[in-house]
Amino acid sequence: MSANPASKSQPVSALPPLSGKPMRQVGSTGPLVLLPNRCTGCRTCELACAFAHSEDGNLGLSRIRIHPAGPDRYVQVTCLQCVNAACVQVCPTQALVRNADTGAICHDENRCVGCGLCETACPFGHMHFAVEMRKPVKCDLCGGRPACAMFCPHEALEWR
Amino acid sequence: MTSPFKNAAELEKHQKQLQGQKQLPSTIAVCTSGCVAYGANRLVDAFTKAVKSRKIGDQVRIIATGCQGFCERGPLVVVHPQEWFYEKVDGKDINDILDSALKGKVLKRLLHKDAKGKTYQKESEVPFYRNQKRLLLAQNSRIDPCSIDDYLRAGGYAALAKALTKMAPEEVIEQITASGLRGRGGGGFPAGVKWKSCRAAASKNGVRYIICNADEGDPGAFMDRALIEGNPHSVIEGMIIGAWAVGHPGKPQGFVYIRNEYPLAVERLGIALEQARAAGLLGKNILGSGLNFDIQVNRGGGAFVCGESTALMASIEGDVGRPRAKHIHTVEVGLNGKPSNLNNVETWANVPLIIDHGVKWFTKIGTGDVSDNPWGGSKGTKIFALVGKVKNTGLVEVPMGATLREIIYDIGGGIRDGKKFKAVQTGGPSGGCLPESKLDVPVDFDTLVQEGSMMGSGGMIVMDEDTCMVDVAKYFVGFLKFESCGNCTSCRDGLIRLHELLEDITTGRGSEATIQLIEDLAETVRASSLCALGTSAVNPLQSTLRYFRDEYLAHVQDQRCPAKVCKELITFTIDAKKCNGCTLCAKRCPQDTIEGKKKKPYTIIQDNCIKCGICMDVCQQDAVIVQ
Amino acid sequence: MPIRFKINDVAVEAKPGEGLLDVARRNGFSIPSLCHLESVPAIGACRICLVEVRRGRRSKLTTSCNYEVLDGIEVSTDSPEIRRHRAMNLELLLARAPSSEAIRKLAAQYGVSQPRFGPIKYNPLPNCILCELCVRACTELGHHALTTVGRGDRKRIGLPFNKPADTCVGCGACASVCPTHCIPMTDTLTKRAIWGQKHDFVRCSECGAPVITKKHRDHAIATKGLPEDYYDVCQSCKQIATSQRFAAIVW
Ligand SMILES: Cc1cc2nc3c(=O)[nH]c(=O)nc-3n(C[C@H](O)[C@H](O)[C@H](O)COP(=O)(O)O)c2cc1C
Ligand code: SF4
Ligand code: SF4
Ligand code: SF4
Ligand code: SF4
Ligand code: SF4
Ligand code: FES
Ligand code: FES
Repeated sequence: MSANPASKSQPVSALPPLSGKPMRQVGSTGPLVLLPNRCTGCRTCELACAFAHSEDGNLGLSRIRIHPAGPDRYVQVTCLQCVNAACVQVCPTQALVRNADTGAICHDENRCVGCGLCETACPFGHMHFAVEMRKPVKCDLCGGRPACAMFCPHEALEWR
Repeated sequence: MTSPFKNAAELEKHQKQLQGQKQLPSTIAVCTSGCVAYGANRLVDAFTKAVKSRKIGDQVRIIATGCQGFCERGPLVVVHPQEWFYEKVDGKDINDILDSALKGKVLKRLLHKDAKGKTYQKESEVPFYRNQKRLLLAQNSRIDPCSIDDYLRAGGYAALAKALTKMAPEEVIEQITASGLRGRGGGGFPAGVKWKSCRAAASKNGVRYIICNADEGDPGAFMDRALIEGNPHSVIEGMIIGAWAVGHPGKPQGFVYIRNEYPLAVERLGIALEQARAAGLLGKNILGSGLNFDIQVNRGGGAFVCGESTALMASIEGDVGRPRAKHIHTVEVGLNGKPSNLNNVETWANVPLIIDHGVKWFTKIGTGDVSDNPWGGSKGTKIFALVGKVKNTGLVEVPMGATLREIIYDIGGGIRDGKKFKAVQTGGPSGGCLPESKLDVPVDFDTLVQEGSMMGSGGMIVMDEDTCMVDVAKYFVGFLKFESCGNCTSCRDGLIRLHELLEDITTGRGSEATIQLIEDLAETVRASSLCALGTSAVNPLQSTLRYFRDEYLAHVQDQRCPAKVCKELITFTIDAKKCNGCTLCAKRCPQDTIEGKKKKPYTIIQDNCIKCGICMDVCQQDAVIVQ
Repeated sequence: MPIRFKINDVAVEAKPGEGLLDVARRNGFSIPSLCHLESVPAIGACRICLVEVRRGRRSKLTTSCNYEVLDGIEVSTDSPEIRRHRAMNLELLLARAPSSEAIRKLAAQYGVSQPRFGPIKYNPLPNCILCELCVRACTELGHHALTTVGRGDRKRIGLPFNKPADTCVGCGACASVCPTHCIPMTDTLTKRAIWGQKHDFVRCSECGAPVITKKHRDHAIATKGLPEDYYDVCQSCKQIATSQRFAAIVW
């Protein structure tokens, strides 16, 4: 049996439990809750994230992505801040560390050597490598004030 | 030697016995150090053979010694007990020397003659030696470095016995501190202070390293080599005393990090260590004191920078020899992360002398007052490798505080070929160049630094009026850019660029802006490099800018090299009035660029001239002029 | 016992053995640097992170990355003197790496736009500033596939024994950490070329995109304990799969 929870054949229950609590919402990342049924696909969140993490709003650096899921249906995908995170497990330099205040697993630029293992390991395809910077891009919950949730005009992302 | 000495009394007894023994009527001491280059080894062989064939082995003893000092006149031979000093000895002189030794009549023709034609019989009368104070080198023309008995006979290891039986480790440290002994490897750090911190530093399993720095990478320097080749036991004795003072009770371990290019020193040191072990002076429970200590020899990594303390330790650990930051001192965290006490060869060799003769005796020699501050002066003697344009080159030992003039003129005999003195560089490749006006400054640690140079480990290069100081600065910067470990931007790239800028000046492409840039860059190299190689690398440059600025200006303002060294800035021409058309220059010119008719004045076609100066050297009429 | 000292007159705390630059950064002080990462040993190569440290009565310039913090020191991260030497070192580095955007930018902050020095004569890897981050990262990862060769003006980054190392897994960390991005690394769909050898990629089982080099995957499996099929699918395909699974739950 495949151990990769992202393979399509896997039941949803194989997703890692979050903080030991039952999932309140699909894709809840703890206090950041994704509500795909409200998402209109406007991609304001992507832009907000991009500007929160770069001067010129480079969309390649956005930590959240909107995926179409059929007619007028969209899902947001971002980091789930997993409990036993694969990215943390593989990082050879302890460059991925959970922030005690926000619960976000944060990427430490001062430690990362850009080996790329985290990107490969993340079962949800969240971590990705910014080719130009040669460093991974990862949701850090904006230090506790997630820009995506602040700017979502449809309240499809909630910060609770 | 019979069996290992169990205690100091046995050592003393053996020593007395040796001193009481009748010596052979004659001992012939042949320098086999640098003099080997002039065939000294063949000399020893020939002497030995002759003694054998003439069956006079019961009357004459031949010994191969370390450097005796007056290398300029090598190969040297000294006949004891009369101390007759023979220079430039050749294979064909052997039988005459043996005859004279047997008859007890000095061989006049090999004696040293001074400029006025006066001859000297005894080594100690020769002006070169007379004006020195040879304490560390005293035994170099007397003992066989491969014989521990020779060393014992001369009073060796008495200081060790004294320290181990009559002095507590702390007391030894106190004495070394009170003596004002400062490191001879360059920095001049008080040895006693270093020992004390190393003793005080925490070591979980009690291991403390006692290390001897014998890397001696300065080009032209051979003080440490001479000590190890000439009197290795003095260094070993110093280190054992150090082990007692710094590491006992505990687990002191010794290392000698020795330059790989010194095979003879390595060999003699190895023999001496074996002898010391056999005599029970290394190993377990030395002289019954409870001290356990042995010394291991490590061959150097072959780079100048490996002489730097942290690089040296990295190299012993098997890593690339390169410096690291020393905010935490190596006395606390050094080799293998343990407290490590590193001293230079000459520093170690001073230790037995101080213990033996006492602090009072030692502090009488030298400058300043160290009674309540070990930095307060410079005590004892210092050995210098005197080279360059002096008449008498060689190894000289003088009391601290001797003036440069005394060293260069009284001992060195002044400048060669009737030329004028221009500068002297002390302190090896990163020392400064001092001008004539500084000839009367006393040579000690602090004065030299004040004047923009340094003691270094004891290189002393004398330069005459034919030396271009910009060229000198370029030479040393070039050496150091090659020897930098290459870690620091400021040292590596700084030196590369300084070299380029100096090259600009010596080829006539420089301007006053070049000098300004050099000065700014030199400051950054000094201020922001990691180890002392970088921070001192600009000494030759900054000191020549300070004392010989006009020479730099002549190069950039008038495109002129006052010493007529920088090829791009000089031209060779033939004075038609003086040239007699002998054709000598034209024949020897490698470029074939001198033309003319026989018996008529010749001319140099400038386009092809490579400024080699051969024409000037060969011309008998002094007709070639350089401008 | 924490170490207490001051940076620009602000009191800070650190653990014994920590590097000054790391502590300063953590406390929000910005010190420029080109050769330091917290995860590799500090060597103080670039000489840009200069600061002034006062200890008792004595004060000196030192690089902060390889300075272990001490109780009671007073650090200043900026002064005309510090800026002057940083600027000169940046000028030296800019001459070495004229096409590096990162160095050009930093140098400009110190008023250096055009170095007064020409191209460096010996520089087999153009734009390399010899910071050794690549070597140290590779060593830290346990691959030991890079080394420095020579010293002084002939120093360069090279391969152990002058030939491509068997131990290189083609992870590209060296290329990632390089501040001037001067290490040539080219990826095709099937192979990554780096340091004179070509590494086969694991290809995404969904779309065929390269995921990770086979050697790197094998090394990761052996050392990181994640099962093999974690490395089968590329990041984009995993993300699409995730979105589909979310959708399946919601609708
Ligand atoms: C580049 C460099 C080269 C050095 N080379 C030597 C050397 O060859 N021999 C030596 O004794 N000390 C050398 N030193 C000095 C040593 O680092 C160290 O200060 C010395 O060995 C300590 O011994 P001392 O206190 O007895 O002088 C060198 C220092 C530097 C910076
Ligand atoms: S990056 Fe991936 S593996 Fe890491 S916490 Fe986020 S979702 Fe989990
Ligand atoms: S790329 Fe950076 S964060 Fe990711 S695993 Fe490698 S070192 Fe860790
Ligand atoms: S100053 Fe020079 S020799 Fe010393 S560590 Fe730096 S580059 Fe190496
Ligand atoms: S690609 Fe090779 S050389 Fe570069 S860090 Fe990875 S293993 Fe080392
Ligand atoms: S290749 Fe890049 S990382 Fe490696 S030493 Fe050169 S500049 Fe630094
Ligand atoms: S080498 Fe023989 S006297 Fe110096
Ligand atoms: S970051 Fe400290 S010297 Fe480069």
